[in-house]
Amino acid sequence: MEKGKISSLQMAIMMYPGIVATAILSVPSITAKYAKTDFWLSPILASLIGYMTVYIAYKLHKLYPKQTVIQFSEQIIGRFAGKIIGFLFLVFYIQITGNMLRQYAEFVVDSFLVNTPISLIIALMALLCSFIVRGGLEALGRAAQLFFPIFTLPLLFLIILVFPDFEFKNIFPILGEGMMPPIKGAIVPGGWFTEFFLITFFLPFLTDQKKGMKYGMMTVFVVMMTLVVVNLIVLFILGLATSFKVYPLMSVGRYISLGGFFEHLESAVMAIWVVGAFIKISVFYYGIALGTAQWLNLSDYRPIVWSLGILLVIFSFWSLPSTVELHKYSVGTFPLLGLLIQMIIPLFLLGIAVMRKRKRQGSE
Amino acid sequence: MRWGAFFSVMVIVALIILYEWPKMKQNPKKDKMAFFTLLFIGLVLSMFDLPHMGGPTAWIQSLFRPFGRFMEK
Repeated sequence: MEKGKISSLQMAIMMYPGIVATAILSVPSITAKYAKTDFWLSPILASLIGYMTVYIAYKLHKLYPKQTVIQFSEQIIGRFAGKIIGFLFLVFYIQITGNMLRQYAEFVVDSFLVNTPISLIIALMALLCSFIVRGGLEALGRAAQLFFPIFTLPLLFLIILVFPDFEFKNIFPILGEGMMPPIKGAIVPGGWFTEFFLITFFLPFLTDQKKGMKYGMMTVFVVMMTLVVVNLIVLFILGLATSFKVYPLMSVGRYISLGGFFEHLESAVMAIWVVGAFIKISVFYYGIALGTAQWLNLSDYRPIVWSLGILLVIFSFWSLPSTVELHKYSVGTFPLLGLLIQMIIPLFLLGIAVMRKRKRQGSE
Repeated sequence: MRWGAFFSVMVIVALIILYEWPKMKQNPKKDKMAFFTLLFIGLVLSMFDLPHMGGPTAWIQSLFRPFGRFMEK
């Protein structure tokens, strides 16, 4: 179905904005609410979930090298149950991708294009992502490579430019209330880290399959470092006020003032966000398109890309009347749901697959 | 019923069919069925007042309510 091939480095470059893009904007304030001044510790704890997810995805890939989760779940637990699991995965991914579209559009409308109807922004983003997904895996990999510097460099500049405003004493007290607050704060970023299971859609198409695990683990580590650094910047600038801001990194961008003329660099944060959201949504969209085509046993995924785009736009509105509801969903439902679908179910599949393999070897 | 949304989705669906149909003449019948079914689902769903309607998101949210309450503290 997919004839394109990507390298494992490209996979890493695709997954990095795929996780970081939404995480750096909204997660600092969500984490700060639970962990107070220790919220920079939470991504470190949450990344453990990421390592486990990559490990599970890679082990499953080892057992069924040419298949994605939609296909091997049918092989592991039978056709009918496998189809149900596949359906769960697809609905889950369509739903969270719709949510990402909504988050992206809410941010753009809130901060910049105040008078633009939100449906237009969502539809345009969906259109853009449809083009790239229709171009295939190679096009997606190359686009991610192309946009990677645009995504990472503004972040580095931001760190350098806000450095004079750092208040290092904001970090104290470290672990003033014990380990519990950072652990509770790690729940929400943990949900983001489970999204690494998406590599299951890329592993079969790697040119250097053996490196898949190495690069996957490396991506988790780099994502963790980025989140820790971003959380520290936010902490040093905003301190305890972080939890009251919706987009703390935006507020940090407003602090930049260099020589009196180099100001209002929120647009740099905006650039990170728009490029990141584009890559993130495309990566998930690709997984959905490929997965749906495999689930329905189609010969190609390209014809259904546009129709799935409409579904994504619909899911970005469905049952989400306001930003408050969206926030409630991403804090109160998504972390546990993501953990359940992207880690517990694959772990369960892996357990059965390993047992079946042992049994087969035992009877021979 | 929101006519504006419905009609814009209808126009988009028409454009998609115009764009995609000539390219998928060779594809098996199953592909064409899936293509039209998905478009039809999208069109039907666009007729409802989606933001205020119960759907998968709302169902899952009510299923995970205890966890949501735990996170609100």
